[in-house]
Amino acid sequence: MKLPLPPWVRPRALIALLATCAALALGPLLHSDVYIHNLLTLTFIGIAAALAWNWLGGYLGQVSFGHAAMFGLGGFVAAKAEISMGMPMVFAWCFGGVIAGLYALVWGHPTLRLRGPYFSIATIGVGEATRLVGTYWDWLTGGSSGTSLPMHPNLKFTLYWYALALAAVAMAASYALRRSSLGLALLAIKSDVDAASDVGVSSTRLQDLVLFLSGAMIGVCGASYGSYFSYIEPGDMFGFDRSISWVLMGVIGGIGTIAGPALGAIIFVLLRQYLIASYPQLYLGLYGILLVLVILFEPLGLTGLSLRVLRRARPDLIVSGSET
Amino acid sequence: MLEVRAIDAAYGDVQVLAGLSLEVREKEIVTLLGSNGAGKTTTLRCVTGLLAPRKGEVLFRGQPLSKVAASDRAGLGIALVPEARELWPQLTVRENLELGAYDKRARGRAAQNLDRVQVMFPRLLERRSQVAGSLSGGEQQMCAIGRALMSEPSLLLLDEPSLGLAPIVVEQMFEAIRALHASGMTILLVEQNLAAALEIATRGYVIETGQVKLSGTAAELRSDPKIRAAYLGL
Repeated sequence: MKLPLPPWVRPRALIALLATCAALALGPLLHSDVYIHNLLTLTFIGIAAALAWNWLGGYLGQVSFGHAAMFGLGGFVAAKAEISMGMPMVFAWCFGGVIAGLYALVWGHPTLRLRGPYFSIATIGVGEATRLVGTYWDWLTGGSSGTSLPMHPNLKFTLYWYALALAAVAMAASYALRRSSLGLALLAIKSDVDAASDVGVSSTRLQDLVLFLSGAMIGVCGASYGSYFSYIEPGDMFGFDRSISWVLMGVIGGIGTIAGPALGAIIFVLLRQYLIASYPQLYLGLYGILLVLVILFEPLGLTGLSLRVLRRARPDLIVSGSET
Repeated sequence: MLEVRAIDAAYGDVQVLAGLSLEVREKEIVTLLGSNGAGKTTTLRCVTGLLAPRKGEVLFRGQPLSKVAASDRAGLGIALVPEARELWPQLTVRENLELGAYDKRARGRAAQNLDRVQVMFPRLLERRSQVAGSLSGGEQQMCAIGRALMSEPSLLLLDEPSLGLAPIVVEQMFEAIRALHASGMTILLVEQNLAAALEIATRGYVIETGQVKLSGTAAELRSDPKIRAAYLGL
């Protein structure tokens, strides 16, 4: 049987993704460890968010320090939709995601004209302003005392598969955004906006599109995070360290690569779990050191490291960083 | 085909163009000459839309361009070979060329056009999987011209294609431009190398401090005593 695939899809990558998802989907049937089960759920949400952040920060080189704004907004809008409007959970997630994506456009359309550090500084402002407004608007967020979501029996257990699906969608989207002809256009914008516009690549339209997708996906992540904890509050959802965590995941895994941020998210979530438990005062400092080391020695993160190992093992093989 | 009507342009407070006008007709090869800082590149930026003129307007096939975004002008058939090439250094030659055909109008024929470009510059075929940043200056220039041709332009803007190239490569470049013109392309060529530019051009404009100082056919300009003294060193 031959599937009608676009030419840029490598069958091998598709099979790898499907096989990984199948294995992870069947995993809980083989073990009954609740701790691992829940940790994996959080990891999946982290993977989806890190990948979505990378669409803007990696593919376009527009590093955002304010993505928690969309995470929080998606979370609270979905919660509101579920509680007040009785929307079913998954619809509420999507609704929250769309609102978060639109919100991203509201601040992003003007600020994406800025590039590099200037854009990043603007996103810090956006993130902090959103956090303050979010804390103040208690009709939406419940103020600093937060919002409680409806608890369904077994919800936390089944969320595993929802989160896995979310991560799989984000992974497929990362692949599509990078490998289709759009990916080349994004790289062109990243490295030379003027040259891009000379060949007809509109940085305004494409950056807006990518920011919308990224914001919407992050919003859905926020919504699923809310469903998982069944209690959310603005200081945590909109927190600056949350925005930073996606930057860290990207950097650790390999910024701008297809699968790197997913790796980074796995390391980050697991490491944080361990560090918070063992060194609660030191853990942010240790992350800082890790970040410095990665940037100094392997700017492409774990992806760069594995490429280097691969090249050493198979010198005849030509692998370029943009292929991963 | 292209008409620039009395445009003023400035970067912040620094005015670069003051009432500059020029015209390029169908099938012509017009050269825009002048020394450093005269406003040649700025004029091209106004044509491609990277800079909006403060006054005056730019018309392409009679249509004013002021409302057309820079990224939509490739679709009209305007292509620029920028000063100092401006390739994407970490993308391969092949990817650079493919991006040239990004606009919908030419995307469907990208494969044929790629062949044409590679026949014109066989060196690009040899180097197709190399990253553009690793090419020599001349090869980069070929790649930049190839990228512009991928969009099937009707008007080709060339910004100092001889910049920083060895004399023998410069000669090849002008040969390639002559061949493009012979195949029916309309060309606006910005150059500092007056002698070479006037040899292949039909007409020329000499600009100084943002204004046209002299214009005429290439033969007229070549024999103008002021030009001979100031630019050609004769």
